[in-house]
Amino acid sequence: MKKNSLWPGIILFLAVSSLFNISFAAEKIYIDIDFPTFQLFPIAISDFDLKNPATAKSSDTGIMFTDEVRKYLAMSGFFNILNKKSYLEDKAAEVAGGNIIFANWAAIGADYLLKGNLEQTGDAISADTWLYDVIRGETLLGKRYQGKISEQTEVTKRIVSDILLALTGDEGEFNTKIAFVAKKGPKGDIYVINYDGDGLQKVTGHNSIMVAPRWSPDGRFLSFTSFRDGRPEVYLRDLQKGTEKKIASFSGLNLSGAWSPDGKSLLLTLSKEGNEEIYAMELESFKLKRLTSNFGIDVSPSWSPDGRRIAFVSNRGGSPQIYIMDADGGNVKRITYEGNYNTSPSWSPRGGRIAYEGSSNGRFQIFTIDEEGNNLLQLTFSSTDNESPVWSPSGRQIAFSSRINSGGRISIMNANGLNMRVLYENNDKVVMPVWSKRFK
Amino acid sequence: MKRKIFIVGIFAVLVMCLVFLSGCAEKKSVVKEGAAEDQTVSSQTAAKDTAKEDAERLAREKAEREARERAERERMESEKRAAASRADNVKDIYFDFDKSNIRPDAREVLKANAEIFLSGNNKIVIEGHCDERGTAEYNMALGERRAQETKKYLTNLGVSAATMKTISYGEEHPIASGHDEAAWAKNRRASFVVNPQK
Repeated sequence: MKKNSLWPGIILFLAVSSLFNISFAAEKIYIDIDFPTFQLFPIAISDFDLKNPATAKSSDTGIMFTDEVRKYLAMSGFFNILNKKSYLEDKAAEVAGGNIIFANWAAIGADYLLKGNLEQTGDAISADTWLYDVIRGETLLGKRYQGKISEQTEVTKRIVSDILLALTGDEGEFNTKIAFVAKKGPKGDIYVINYDGDGLQKVTGHNSIMVAPRWSPDGRFLSFTSFRDGRPEVYLRDLQKGTEKKIASFSGLNLSGAWSPDGKSLLLTLSKEGNEEIYAMELESFKLKRLTSNFGIDVSPSWSPDGRRIAFVSNRGGSPQIYIMDADGGNVKRITYEGNYNTSPSWSPRGGRIAYEGSSNGRFQIFTIDEEGNNLLQLTFSSTDNESPVWSPSGRQIAFSSRINSGGRISIMNANGLNMRVLYENNDKVVMPVWSKRFK
Repeated sequence: MKRKIFIVGIFAVLVMCLVFLSGCAEKKSVVKEGAAEDQTVSSQTAAKDTAKEDAERLAREKAEREARERAERERMESEKRAAASRADNVKDIYFDFDKSNIRPDAREVLKANAEIFLSGNNKIVIEGHCDERGTAEYNMALGERRAQETKKYLTNLGVSAATMKTISYGEEHPIASGHDEAAWAKNRRASFVVNPQK
């Protein structure tokens, strides 16, 4: 009797879930690019045709423009750009925006195809661009991009952002920056570099021990700890005005922590009461609220994207591990149990997962784990120490620093650990990368 | 009438001044000429004798002055050395990896250090350090913890908490540069600055 009474429920469940399947199918389907087995999108990018070769500065203009699109698309981390030598393209029979012979592109293994025309008049360029789904034979994107020749890189970034948006539902990280500490010996300063590795800029002039840089959610401020005046104090730098002020100078340790998602408060690690505890500082009033109360070390707080919870490091269990607590300090829960040294938590801006560094076979590697402490994933396996993971604004990539013999390196990889690229490398130590918001 | 006398008086004073000044000027020129004559005319031996006497006198005075200064310097330096040698006897203490508890071997060192700290009106900065392994940010906190634990232990030995400050340098100021356990063991330490300049 009991057994029988289950059946209507199961039938209802199946009916409802099939309904859901239908409604999902009706919406745009994005491939789950974060899945560990995700295969890079195979895409063919046909050289843009130059519409007016007579007036263009160089007959290579179209090819050079297309090469830049290829470069930025590769940089995004999700594309396998097929070698153009393999293309069976019939330039005479095919028209960008018109007749496309999809079979020729499917034959070389392309799932997607990008074609376009480039026009150059005076100091202006105009690029008509089409993105095709080769398997379905559909046009996914058809758009004209315009700008000055001097802004060609910006135009190509806009095209690549739109391709990413069409295929993944997110525009990618091209308008973001990464700040980090570069140091000679113990002394260093904070530098900022663009996502594409250009535009390196020194932003502080302390030449002292610098740790824990953190970007404000609006991208305008950097908080950090500096020993410029002989001891660790927390500073706030206004990147727009180029001004700085000291905001925490209590006795003992003053360490900068994460900004709340609304930008109104900053988490700090202070030892003014004799033990290293996490505090929230209201930036309007500089009022402090103590969040942890434990005999051990509590440090490196990172806010959840909804501002309701905080991940942090504590050694209350005998070794440094990642814990989560409510934003008021309640409900403390340990989430890492694997390994005896897990630090530097960073909460994904999409929620769900926390990245951290952990000791594994005598080396530090990057891991992610979900908020419940399940589904642990090791992302790096190299023989160097890999540290300080931070998420990109989309939550699809992670930047981290590596200690290498000759100095230091900042790399970017996909959230599943694949498609790593070097963002910056130097003979100096480069450490503690932090990712900005999108600036446009 | 009175006024006339006054004016005459002023005039007289002015005249006297003029005479006096010109007299001086004359004297000077005389001395100069005389000196010139000395150099050219007077016998060389006489000049040598006076010069010799002067030099001897000056040398004697100089030696006496220098001896006095040297004695004073030595007295001050020996005082400094005594203070410094007391501070030199202050020893670092060491910690286990990722730990901040005071080890048994460190307790003896802290007892000896406490005696020196208590021997005068001393101010002490306790520096906490870590080895290069681990996370720089976590090590900042760990170094502070080591300094705090050290301060607590010294307080229990009678050193006034008000005379002690803590600072963590994390892993930024290693004392040994190697990348092995021997170097790491030396770098996981609390060190002491007695009466810092600043």
